[in-house]
Amino acid sequence: MGKLRLEITKGEEIRYISHLDYASAIERTIIRAKLPAAYSEGFNPHMKISFASALAVGVTSQAEYMDIEFKEEVELTDAVKRIMATLPPGISLKRAKYMIGNTPALMAIVNLATYNVIVPLMGDAEATEESIRKFNEVSEVLYTRQTPKGRKEIEIKQYMAEPIVIDVQEQEKVAHLAIDIKITPNGSIKPGEILAALVANFDLPVDRERALIHRTGLYVVENDTKVKPIDL
Amino acid sequence: MITLDPAILNRVMKPARYTGNEWNSIKKDHSTVAVTVALALPDVYEVGMSNLGLKILYQILNNRMDTAAERVYAPWVDMEAEMRSHQIPLYTLESLKPVKEFDIVGFSLQYEMSYSNVLNMLDLAGIPLLTAKRTQSDPIIVGGGPCTFNAEPAADFFDCFVLGEGEEIMEDMAEVVAEWKQSDKIGGRQGLLKKLAQITGMYVPSLYDVTYHADGTIAQVAPNCSEAKSIVTKRVVKDLNAVEFATRPVLPYLDIVHDRIMLELFRGCTRGCRFCQAGVLYRPVRERTPENLIKIAKEMVASTGYSEISLTSLSSADYSCLPDVVQSLIDELKEQGVSISLPSLRIDSFSVELAQKLQQVRKSGLTFAPEAGTQRLRDVINKGVTEKNLEDSVRAAFEAGWSTVKLYFMMGLPTETDEDVLGIAKLAYRVLEIYKEVKGRRGAKVTVSVSCFVPKPHTPFQWFGQDMAAEFERKQRLLRDQIRDRSITFNWHDARTSFLEGAFARGDRRLGQVLLAAWKNGARFDGWSEHFKYNTWIEAFATEGIDPHFYATRERSDQEVLPWDHLSSGATKEFLVREYQHAVKEELTADCRRNQCSACGVCPELDVQVIDWGKQV
Repeated sequence: MGKLRLEITKGEEIRYISHLDYASAIERTIIRAKLPAAYSEGFNPHMKISFASALAVGVTSQAEYMDIEFKEEVELTDAVKRIMATLPPGISLKRAKYMIGNTPALMAIVNLATYNVIVPLMGDAEATEESIRKFNEVSEVLYTRQTPKGRKEIEIKQYMAEPIVIDVQEQEKVAHLAIDIKITPNGSIKPGEILAALVANFDLPVDRERALIHRTGLYVVENDTKVKPIDL
Repeated sequence: MITLDPAILNRVMKPARYTGNEWNSIKKDHSTVAVTVALALPDVYEVGMSNLGLKILYQILNNRMDTAAERVYAPWVDMEAEMRSHQIPLYTLESLKPVKEFDIVGFSLQYEMSYSNVLNMLDLAGIPLLTAKRTQSDPIIVGGGPCTFNAEPAADFFDCFVLGEGEEIMEDMAEVVAEWKQSDKIGGRQGLLKKLAQITGMYVPSLYDVTYHADGTIAQVAPNCSEAKSIVTKRVVKDLNAVEFATRPVLPYLDIVHDRIMLELFRGCTRGCRFCQAGVLYRPVRERTPENLIKIAKEMVASTGYSEISLTSLSSADYSCLPDVVQSLIDELKEQGVSISLPSLRIDSFSVELAQKLQQVRKSGLTFAPEAGTQRLRDVINKGVTEKNLEDSVRAAFEAGWSTVKLYFMMGLPTETDEDVLGIAKLAYRVLEIYKEVKGRRGAKVTVSVSCFVPKPHTPFQWFGQDMAAEFERKQRLLRDQIRDRSITFNWHDARTSFLEGAFARGDRRLGQVLLAAWKNGARFDGWSEHFKYNTWIEAFATEGIDPHFYATRERSDQEVLPWDHLSSGATKEFLVREYQHAVKEELTADCRRNQCSACGVCPELDVQVIDWGKQV
């Protein structure tokens, strides 16, 4: 029985829900859609769904990927129709496809996340661009991640897939940053953390708290080719 | 419409509490409806969203073409600070419109310690706190829920209260308000309140004057106009099958307290435990038919996608056709991965068998509520449970594979002695012994939770003087010293919170000033131990020259006019007096559901009947 792979969104309506909330919203959608989802065995059965990469509270996305296993075959167009009919506000289904054969888990193959960050400007274009240029130039940027478990120092640049591309829109007084981040078996960095480092270490003149972060894509990169998980 | 700054939402904890857009939430264009209602619960989102009554009213009111009902809960302290510093008024989750722009704001009053949050929410909304200060353009503030049977301490802040079940009366209210608006608000706000007072079950406190004796007790509560009835009697739904249930509840994104389908099997409980207020307020027992329950449950799974159904009622195991209903639910919904749970267990082997059926794999703990430590005291409170019942059910539970048992008790019940308190420890040890008898080894875990008894209005113990906080604390120490086995966990309630709850539960209108003073000095979220400020409350009492002991710990005479005597649950005062006398004599009263009528007065007074499907087959 193949896995059904979905390309779905996380819209403005649900920007502030957590990844766990997002996952359970999908689970409930599948139950409402009366699709024959498979469940794990054991004391606490759970629906067999898996995601490519968690999305933080406050971040939207135009391309999230998830796999779901069914107990019995459902025709693709029928499954799509039933899911679309019951998706909550803020989640839309863009593409769906059955993955044939032994498909590796999304989590194991997705290794690139791309973001667009819109952030209010508090300085002039020149200073802003200069800050980004410096960040792109240096070989090492240290960031201290604060979690409930403690502090951890992380080197950011190892996770940068591309230099940051900045587009300053002076009339609107905002900057658009395109940030491409590697997802590695040893971890990754969040766009919000990069922004924090830009402000703290590179004097980026922006109002960081008002940043709107949007994930534009998740990809599998192999030998310089960039493929969407749904095109595999 | 309010626009929320991302900076604020990025700063506060759990911002999804404030952004709405949940599945099944209903957004209507306010220009197309005659009445707008904001349904509020004065606690945080996760608590408010778990309230079944508001879910039902949300659906019933939104079913009306001419009405828009939306939700609002108390912002947590971090969000409150943001709202105050950025001048964001309290808003609803559907339209993000200020609450102040609604026609009706309805607060569900589930417990007395939430009153300070009502004041805080009104203030955040920019609505004058005192009913006397409100103008024609302010919303009508209505309260519902169990507290309204004596919400006198909050009477200054509410325009009206709904007594009893809300399904029908809230529609009546919406109609009256719609008509009043269409008539160009004829008679002004006062005119509307007088119209509302004529709805059965609606209490408009400003239409009553209270006078006092020199000793501080009440001389009289009398209507000050012809529209107000001298006694307001609760509303009750005669047949639950005939009214709408919350079949399309709003589905939260974040985890809430009761994050599952709540299937209400029946309303009311007539076991007659003498401490229990709900047992009096929700009389008589009215069951839904098994067919209706199965139908509702299927609709709810389809409309929510929840995979757990909790069978809720005051005493769910008493439902007459429970085994059949449970079996049908399992059969019909197993394929969709849906599990069934029972929140409360009766202390008998029937319940254990049922729990076994429901939780075939998961062996989470079983919870029983003996309520008191000795047979004598259990007879006083009419908890019709014997030591043998408890032993049998615990033994059955251990034989079925459970090893964790939770036991709920109260301390400070009428006639209680130290022997009764120590009986709690004895029972807990007995449970450990039973496990050893069954399994031949140690290994049981027992949690003993003991709350401080708060006498409530409309119960046989409404005259009883509550234990002093120091006495509660002495009894807690006494018990703690007796529980030395590490397999027993002992939890107890904060005596001082219970003392204040006691004062407000049986308080009168003079407490409104205390409430106001305490709120001004920062009281809010008093039900949350991390926010409860005892000294703020005690100072507020002192400032207003009011002694909380007068309300909480003073034994009252049955001749005294009680602050809630003009508010009727249908049960007569004679019945309550009689029950108190039986209690003192340790005499039991049978459940009228299947045995003899105990003449509480509810059925004839309200023209309703017990509906029990087991009896009719």
